[in-house]
Amino acid sequence: MRAVSRPAIETVGLQREFKGGLKAVAGIDLAVAPGEVYGFLGPNGAGKTTTVRMLVTLLRPTGGHATIAGFDVATQPGEVRRRIGVALQEAALDLLMTGRELMELQATLHGIPRRAVADRAALLIERVGLEQAAERRVATYSGGMRRRLDLAMALIHEPEVLFLDEPTTGLDPTSRATLWDEVRRLRDEGTTVFLTTQYLEEADQLADRVGIIDAGVLVAEGTPAALKAQVGAPHLDITLGGPEPDVEAARIAVGPIGELLTPGPGARGAQLSLRVAEGAAAIAPVVRALDEAGCVVEGIEVVRPTLDDVFAEQTGHHLEGAGEAQPVVPA
Amino acid sequence: MRSNLEVVRALVVRALNEITRVPGAALPGVLAPTIFLVGLSGVFGEAARLPGFDATDFRTFIVPVGLLQGASFTGAATGVNLARDIERGWFDRLMVCPAPRTTILLGIVASAALRALLPATFLLLVAFALGVAFPGVGALALDVVLVMGLATAVAFYAVLVALRFRTQQAAPLMQTAGFVAVLFTTAYAPKELLSGWLRAIATVNPVTFVLEGVRQGFTGSVTWADTWPALLAVAALLAALGSLAVRRLGRVGV
Amino acid sequence: MIAPALALARRTLMGAVRRPQFLAPLVIMPTLFLAVNTGGLTRTTDLPGFPQVGGFLDFELAGAITQSLLLGGVMQGIGTALEIEGGFFDRLVASPIPRVSIVLGRILAGSAIAAGQVVWFLVLGLLFGATVHAGVPGVLLVLVIGVLAGTGFAALGVVLALRARNASTVQGIFPIVFVILLVSSAWFPRELLQAPASWFADYNPLSYIAEGMRDPIISAVSARAALEGVAAAAAMTAAFVALAVWALRGRLRDA
Repeated sequence: MRAVSRPAIETVGLQREFKGGLKAVAGIDLAVAPGEVYGFLGPNGAGKTTTVRMLVTLLRPTGGHATIAGFDVATQPGEVRRRIGVALQEAALDLLMTGRELMELQATLHGIPRRAVADRAALLIERVGLEQAAERRVATYSGGMRRRLDLAMALIHEPEVLFLDEPTTGLDPTSRATLWDEVRRLRDEGTTVFLTTQYLEEADQLADRVGIIDAGVLVAEGTPAALKAQVGAPHLDITLGGPEPDVEAARIAVGPIGELLTPGPGARGAQLSLRVAEGAAAIAPVVRALDEAGCVVEGIEVVRPTLDDVFAEQTGHHLEGAGEAQPVVPA
Repeated sequence: MRSNLEVVRALVVRALNEITRVPGAALPGVLAPTIFLVGLSGVFGEAARLPGFDATDFRTFIVPVGLLQGASFTGAATGVNLARDIERGWFDRLMVCPAPRTTILLGIVASAALRALLPATFLLLVAFALGVAFPGVGALALDVVLVMGLATAVAFYAVLVALRFRTQQAAPLMQTAGFVAVLFTTAYAPKELLSGWLRAIATVNPVTFVLEGVRQGFTGSVTWADTWPALLAVAALLAALGSLAVRRLGRVGV
Repeated sequence: MIAPALALARRTLMGAVRRPQFLAPLVIMPTLFLAVNTGGLTRTTDLPGFPQVGGFLDFELAGAITQSLLLGGVMQGIGTALEIEGGFFDRLVASPIPRVSIVLGRILAGSAIAAGQVVWFLVLGLLFGATVHAGVPGVLLVLVIGVLAGTGFAALGVVLALRARNASTVQGIFPIVFVILLVSSAWFPRELLQAPASWFADYNPLSYIAEGMRDPIISAVSARAALEGVAAAAAMTAAFVALAVWALRGRLRDA
């Protein structure tokens, strides 16, 4: 029965301390179920890559332990390597080789029998849409093509658990979307995916569950929806119109409907933020109340909490790449 | 077993791309030992008039030095390439694949043995064109074994250095050791003509035996007395440096 | 022009001293080569035609110094090329200092390092039993020729860097430098050289530079060798410094 219930990835008090006493990872406990897509979210230097390197047997933990598919990364690295696929940051590809040659080399490295190598390579090249480029040297590939090839290489031996370390960092939006589609497809096929990212949207879009890491510790964990709900209800950003908007009158008018927030630094003078439990449903009463108070409403926007708000609440600072989100703090 | 051989073959093919796909990349490594041979024999050629050289012309005398220099450069280049692979992250790919580490190590160094034949062949062609006498097929076969063996041994050493420093900046450390090991032998003169300290080093330097093993065919005939110490020296170097490299590579990651 | 050149020279020197891993190869390689040549060819001093010397080490010191100075020039070239690649060079060009100071600063740093290289080999020679026959004036003469030559090699490095603009090309020149030195009398008496070295040695300025430094080490100062050495080093230095300034002008015009 153990095979059914065991987590695909499990860590207990996982630690990595570098020479000089720097604790890059300071005791992480997590369990990823088979078939789950786990998003590991955190800013640069939070310990994401160090954690992944320990999980894929490239770095020995200095404390705690970790298992992949039930095998200990420190004592059974061979068993672990047979079961994982790894696409690390900055797709490491040999630019002198063609896509097909690289796939075949990867297949050989993973012990796929010679007669099956070519077919397997062709299958995966097709899967990531690189048939046209397969005979070209990787040096001619774009960043997105390289990441797709790297992903295909990580899948060559049909791994149980796939590690993707910042798979879309530095990619343009189109290439990012293509890669996301591929991850969704893997999830649908039942592959366990451990995905690190510094992009909120990526974790939000792809992950069944998200762990937020900062300074080497896990500060929050849960489904994206649950995490966002933790931070609280959505709020309305209201922009007043008219020649001389009376902000004070507007505040008095909407006060009873929700909780007034201090607008963030990006807000202009004629704006207010109102936290409302019911979200969009509160728009009608708000508009009515403002109308009755003689205020002109230029626009109303529903703003839902993001993972960055979760991050900010847990750590007191924001994620990189979350610059566009208007920080809103309770008044 | 079969799949391990496949891994070695695949890694060797990849390493040889460097030669076949980068125009001019192999050129310095191929030319250097020959330039060394031609230049040095022009400069120091008169040294062969000293009693002790037994009328061997200096160029013939130092052909083996050029052959072993080429082997040593090639071995060092393997380490430099590994350091580059480490810097670029390719090495991580090798380390997370389930193939045994010993197999991966063999794949990395086996290319050095093959590549070493390039500068050796070029050097011999030039040497024969310049009048160095053909040593015979048996002697050449022995030379091939010794050159490939030494290249592999130096490659093991260079791999150790690459794994220790993880940067191409350590290249001089990989290149200098082989250069010194080949020259601090009877490279320039028979042992009795060396100064005392160099004679002492040459006597214990295993590369001296390899050098004499290669040299015997050029200066006289191949004898078992000069052959077995050369083979034993190469085997000992391979065993010692190879086991150190296996251990070091086994400790990468977990 | 002088003050900024000196300031830049000091900056280059500080950089070199702080990264001994780049400075060390300048003396380590020639020292190893000197050791193996001396150990292996020690008996060649018995050959008819070999000049009267205290030992092969005495004879070979000047060759090792010359080789080391050439490597120093390669290093200054790589340093300049890296500054061009990294954009620091453009920042200097855009600053209000005279542009000639930029190349002169590099070259003067080469002169200072050259003095250090000469001292290294003389001290090494003395430690291992060589003597400078011409005494203190002889040491001064070796220093004069060595520093002049080192200045010229640094200027050559700067010329190559300004033309090539990238460090790997400058690095690729390295083997050629080695070959040019092989076809000179830096390592062995000119009368004993064989082809192809002998064809070139008479016309190779490196022969005269090496012999100019060798002469006061192995015998009393002779006017001819000293003059030839100083003249060869000075002429080469003047030519390469002029070329460096010219190459800088060309680079500024192209840019």
